[in-house]
Amino acid sequence: MTNLPNEPDQSDVVNTNNETNKIFPFEIPLFIGPMTIIIAVFVFAPLLIILGISFIKSGIYGDLIFTFTLDNYKAALGSKYGPVFYRSILMAAQTNIICILIGYPIAYNIARFGGKWKNMLLFLIIIPSWSSYLIRLYALKTLIGRKGLLNTFLINMDIISQPLEILYTQTAVMIGLIYAWLPFMVLPIYASIEGLDQSLLEASADLGSRPFKRFLRVTLPLTKGGLLAGSILCFIPTVGEWLVPQIFGGSKVMMAGSLVAQKFMGVGNMPQGASLAIMLATTLILILYLAIKFGGKDAMEKMI
Amino acid sequence: MNWEKMVTKLLNTVIGIFYIFLWTPLIIVIVFSFSTHKYGSKWEGFTTKWYGKLIANEAVQDALIRSLIIAVITMIAATIIGTITAYGLYKFQFKGKPFLRTSILLPLVFPSVITGAALLVFFTRILHIPLGYPSIIIAHIVFCSPLAVFIILGRMQRMDWTLEEASMDLGATRFKTFKRVTLPVLLPGIMASAMLIFPWSFDDFVITYFVAGVGSTTLPIYVYSQLRFGTSPILNTIATLFVVVTIIGFFASHFFQKLDIRK
Repeated sequence: MTNLPNEPDQSDVVNTNNETNKIFPFEIPLFIGPMTIIIAVFVFAPLLIILGISFIKSGIYGDLIFTFTLDNYKAALGSKYGPVFYRSILMAAQTNIICILIGYPIAYNIARFGGKWKNMLLFLIIIPSWSSYLIRLYALKTLIGRKGLLNTFLINMDIISQPLEILYTQTAVMIGLIYAWLPFMVLPIYASIEGLDQSLLEASADLGSRPFKRFLRVTLPLTKGGLLAGSILCFIPTVGEWLVPQIFGGSKVMMAGSLVAQKFMGVGNMPQGASLAIMLATTLILILYLAIKFGGKDAMEKMI
Repeated sequence: MNWEKMVTKLLNTVIGIFYIFLWTPLIIVIVFSFSTHKYGSKWEGFTTKWYGKLIANEAVQDALIRSLIIAVITMIAATIIGTITAYGLYKFQFKGKPFLRTSILLPLVFPSVITGAALLVFFTRILHIPLGYPSIIIAHIVFCSPLAVFIILGRMQRMDWTLEEASMDLGATRFKTFKRVTLPVLLPGIMASAMLIFPWSFDDFVITYFVAGVGSTTLPIYVYSQLRFGTSPILNTIATLFVVVTIIGFFASHFFQKLDIRK
């Protein structure tokens, strides 16, 4: 695989530019300074504060008592919150796999056989993915609710006699997750298939490989970047999901994000919430790091 | 051959189901926003009266104006920050560049709950920024500027950079060149990005919900507060409004992109 031609690296472009144009030392901070400050002050500093709070005690009324303790982490890993945590990761993994299984064939077909409809088909995926997340979940709830259109339709068709109780089950949460994140899986995979060098497939066909084998040995490995990028965009937000379990699970199905939200809202228990948030963040940063390491730059560039 | 045909047919069916799955909820909500049905969950007859009620609803007016103000300020600030950052990332080689690039990705992929909770604690306990406009706008800039960076970086990779080199060869400083040459050439791409940032900020719920405090209801927060009462015609009209804003933003973005290509 290493012999295959890659797209020109972005750093090459920058290097050639640097040779012709002089850069003064003060120019760089001028351009990247504001963003660096935003990231440092409003992304890293708040995370560090949360990290600090996760090691202190909480009073009965949600006030902070500044004594060092590891109890929050013990509780987060213990039988009280641990299972929710593991289930979130499991549900996110399931969502991710289902999204790949549905998303890959869709992206593949649009990229290869879309023809003149390609832009239209893409447009029809991007619009919902860009529309308000909350509104989309509301719309889905309207559809699958007890008195929703799905139940009305199925009862009128005499397929069922009692309305299906889909809401407030784990299935409902899964449907919500897939509905919310599937577009974000399709788009990066589409980009990677679209960027595929056709001559490689032709070469493989000329050398006598069957379509299925060709897909497995050529197409799939070459679109790994898109798959990884889609998985990052899909898996990471899903683990920390709060709104989907809130709307589709009620109080019955909770995910890691629900716990964090619960502990930070109202009276709450900020140190406990902080320890859960830190565990969640650490897990996700680790996954992001591994994905970028194994997917390389390709995954990063396919992502946006 | 037959086998391949069957696979193609199967794939097309899957695609069909996918699009139906994706669009049916939205279409139903839009259609029902014109239904006379009292609870907005059935088609009875055509009416636009709910839109009249929407406009007359003071809570909605208040939330809508707040959301618009926040989205406009965020759009302008995030676009400016995104543009100069993208330029810096594209043009310069410096220490810690890969780290910065990855860090910029964090606000985009991180669960909103963590970002929201961390910012809430930071604003209330450390900076003592009042919850409301200031906290919401800062939070929106934090998750919108990274998006602007990546969209504009994408445009830059397709841009013709010879004009800039010519300008600098003729003796203009980089800053002057950026202002007089690079920026005008990039403008359609920048506008295209701004048109996508606007709905991104306008639509956000989770992070806003955390940092809004009491009394600063944006339109998504209003929708959330009404959700527990179930489907309602007013919610249907608001949902339609959200989808329309997104589509307008997207078409405007597309228009500017076309402008870019024609140049």
